Amino acid sequence: MNIVLAELVSPNVNLRAILPETMVAVTGVIVMLYDCFAPRQRNVTGAISLIGLAAAAFFLGMMWMDGSGIPTYSWNGMIAHDNLRLSFSFVFLIVSAMTILISTIWVEREDVPSGEYHALLLFATFGMMFMAAGNDLVIIFLGLETLSIATYVMAGLRRTDLKSNESAMKYFILGSLASAFLLYGMALIYGATGATNIPEIASKIAQPNFPALLLVGGAMLIVGFGFKIAAVPFHVWTPDVYEGAPSPITGFMAAGPKAAAFASFLRVFLLGFPVLAGVQAAGYLHDTWVTALSLIAIATMTLGNVGAIMQNNVKRMLAYSSIAHAGYALVGFVGAGMAQTPTARDEAIASVAFYMLTYAITNLGAFAIITLLGQKNDRRTDFEDFNGIGFKSPALSFTLSLFMLSLLGLPLTAGFIGKVLVFRPALEAGDRLLTIVVVAAVVNTAISAYYYLRLIVVMFFRERTTAWAEPRLSTPFAAVLLIAVLGVFYLGIFGDRVIQRFSQPAVRVGAQLH
Amino acid sequence: MDFINENLLTILILLPVFGALGVLAYQMFAGREDNLKWITFGITLVNFLISLLLIGEKAASSSGFQFEKSVPWITAINSNYHVGVDGLSLWLVILTTFIMPISVISTWHAVEKKPTAFYIFLLLLESAMIGVFVSLDLLVFYLFFEASLVPMFFLIGIWGGENRIYAAVKFFIFTALGSLLMLAAIISLYYVHASVSSVGGTFDYVAIMKTMELGHLSFSGPLAATGTLMFLAFALAFSIKVPLFPFHTWLPDAHTEAPTAGSVILAAVLLKMGTYGLMRFCFTLFPDQSREFAPFFIVLAIIGIIYGALVAMVQPDVKRLVAYSSVAHMGFVILGMFSFTEWGMQGAVYQMLNHGVSTGALFLLVGFIYERRHTRQISEFGGLANVMPIYATIFVITAMSSVGLPFLNGFVGEFLIMLGMWKSSILSVTTTTNWNYIATMLAGTGVIFAAVYLLWMIQRVFFGEVTNDKNKSLSDLSWREIGLIVPLMFLMVFMGVYPRPFLDRAKDAVTQIQTRVMHQAGGEVEHAEVVK
Repeated sequence: MNIVLAELVSPNVNLRAILPETMVAVTGVIVMLYDCFAPRQRNVTGAISLIGLAAAAFFLGMMWMDGSGIPTYSWNGMIAHDNLRLSFSFVFLIVSAMTILISTIWVEREDVPSGEYHALLLFATFGMMFMAAGNDLVIIFLGLETLSIATYVMAGLRRTDLKSNESAMKYFILGSLASAFLLYGMALIYGATGATNIPEIASKIAQPNFPALLLVGGAMLIVGFGFKIAAVPFHVWTPDVYEGAPSPITGFMAAGPKAAAFASFLRVFLLGFPVLAGVQAAGYLHDTWVTALSLIAIATMTLGNVGAIMQNNVKRMLAYSSIAHAGYALVGFVGAGMAQTPTARDEAIASVAFYMLTYAITNLGAFAIITLLGQKNDRRTDFEDFNGIGFKSPALSFTLSLFMLSLLGLPLTAGFIGKVLVFRPALEAGDRLLTIVVVAAVVNTAISAYYYLRLIVVMFFRERTTAWAEPRLSTPFAAVLLIAVLGVFYLGIFGDRVIQRFSQPAVRVGAQLH
Repeated sequence: MDFINENLLTILILLPVFGALGVLAYQMFAGREDNLKWITFGITLVNFLISLLLIGEKAASSSGFQFEKSVPWITAINSNYHVGVDGLSLWLVILTTFIMPISVISTWHAVEKKPTAFYIFLLLLESAMIGVFVSLDLLVFYLFFEASLVPMFFLIGIWGGENRIYAAVKFFIFTALGSLLMLAAIISLYYVHASVSSVGGTFDYVAIMKTMELGHLSFSGPLAATGTLMFLAFALAFSIKVPLFPFHTWLPDAHTEAPTAGSVILAAVLLKMGTYGLMRFCFTLFPDQSREFAPFFIVLAIIGIIYGALVAMVQPDVKRLVAYSSVAHMGFVILGMFSFTEWGMQGAVYQMLNHGVSTGALFLLVGFIYERRHTRQISEFGGLANVMPIYATIFVITAMSSVGLPFLNGFVGEFLIMLGMWKSSILSVTTTTNWNYIATMLAGTGVIFAAVYLLWMIQRVFFGEVTNDKNKSLSDLSWREIGLIVPLMFLMVFMGVYPRPFLDRAKDAVTQIQTRVMHQAGGEVEHAEVVK
């Protein structure tokens, strides 16, 4: 009894290990409190949020510097401190900060309750960071739910708009269903292995005979995570939700929560169900999920792209394009699954993180412009509304074209390096199925040229028949566009440093986080 | 001077980029667009003059390349910004820088819509094209190869003709599909290299060649199947670009709809990326596959020559006619390359330059008449020689150069190609039939057809009475137009009479490639000391 008690009263508390997350959560609370006493100060709450995110980024950077190179764990093994967490958390912070900047115009135009909005965004970010940091199925689930509940509300922030309501409702119902699948899968895995800690699960499946429960549990996890990353066939919610949600939120959902789901997905499957030499059963589990994800990747890319071609609304087109991009990232995922050495695996994980970073920056940039051009309630988001605006607002149109080309993956943009990096591990394996996956990805990229170019075509090659008033560009908005443009070029041309950082955190040996 | 010599190629690539930024800055701060053509012309001319420095240097480094420069780019995947030229790429770089100022002048009055953007895209295109010819790192090569699509896409799409959107999108998607498969092959090559070499994976062409010369890597034997797939991916990308029959369908649309400057650059330079890529990468990386598939390419080339000529014959639109003639001419280049004889390959290199000069000039000439009449239909013209004698004279000379009249440049190239094909041993030779002879003879008919469609067109456009009243008051060429066509005319004659300097400078590179294709069999490498 005493021993149990001792374990209960003295858990491995290490506040330093979750400092960035704490920072974000505290900022969220401050924003909420501030809003109670001085409601609707959108600039103030926005500024507080940005400062909080910057502080979190600072602490994250400190942790990066402190890393010893070997993954360490704290909080009784529940919180991981490794590459995967740090690089994905970095992506989340960028996504969050960009979303706040993009939202300025929307918050102002539609008089959104900014305090609630900013607090929700921060709590969502907090959830995402825990999804990346969680080294235990329970933590991952808690992070996911924190994120999801905040996002459900954000999708419906435009209360008087039917489409926004529909979006929130659909997202909520289907999201809850997916969460249920996920939780059930986790329960089954716990039933099969007796553990929720991921490294422990990995050691348990090394036993020669594992129960079939594990396979069922794994399949349910694929369903749950597949929903969150919008992989086919769990993608059906995406177009409606993305179209109905306010544009900045759509941009956020496509970039942030998706990356967060990838972070947990990668951790659970790559570190929880690894291939183990000499263990046939674990090998079977591993082969099964790699094959399943390969097929899902092909289906996701193909359906996403074919769906995108048929859209007449730019937001819907980008929704389908985000499905396709989840497919490309899955290519890197299965490549990581087939990696022969831990180093190769970590490099592949880094390439998926890098891919999500490139996608996030490009996509948020695109949604920024769509928010601006879409006007109140996103009324002007059909392809027709972009007709011939090319030389009427050249700066905006060329910037949007640049983002389209980056999404397409054209050289010199971030998207290109991202694609090369995720295709690479899949080809490295030299596996037949994976080679087919890469060829499918390549053909899909060519297909996607059609709809990305279409936006450029309508903007520049067609004439405008109706009147056009160039939108006013506010300072935060110009800033976010500048960040996105520079980001696209920086990652596309000088992305080397970032890739290095993502794959090798160990800078200074010494400080342990235990 | 040392700095310039060391970074010459980088300067050539970057000068137009900074020029484009300068053009943008000028427009933004001066708020005028009237001097842009002069600025752009100045930039391209300076770039041309700088590129002439390339001709001087002969001493090659051990890799066979001059003006080499290698800087790490993405260390995580071991990709370097590695550039260099040899006799093969040298002339193509100069062709690019030479054709640019000419196409800038050709737009003097033609571009009324958004000149700033137009000149910016032209300059960016120049950078990308030079980058393609000098890259020695496969990933960087791919980067420039794809990057060249975007400016061209905009040039066709914004400043093109009636059907420009269709043409621009088709052009982009055709080329992108091919090159993306090549990207997959490039990444695979990286891993194949990593699996055999202690150096690990690399995209560096020179390093890969070195591994192959040492005998560590060969796409015969166990890797043959992989090699074949990779070869096909590379070859598809380049065949679409050339374009080889049956991948040519984007070309007539793109050419016809593009503005004059776009067509000139497309014909003179962009198509050469395909043939250059085949020769530089396919032949040397996959010699066995190149030989194995040569008959296939020769057949397609001959179909292209004859089909292109026959279709050109029935075109009612002059520009479309010239576009189809490009298909035929590029067929000749492919034929010469795949003969794998020194003559044939030298002829192919020469014909690439010839085609750039002659077809470029033809597109310019078509542009002149289009600016005056806003139509290109042959039936709208007739008897132009009476009202525009200078124009008619120049047009006939250019057409003759394109047909291959002796003492003009086209003759040298086509003659060498046919000689090479005749002497070739690549097709099967039985006691009754030598297929190499038959291929040569079939290609020879293409020359006759070329004479037919061009002369017939000239007859209908220039000779006889002036039947259409609109043509009666046409003005002859202005000094600007004469001035920009004269350098091309000079080259047609010069290259027709004295091809030595061009061929000599290309010789080393060509024989190196040829030796590699013909003498590397079954993993045995006999490469050393063939250069001298």
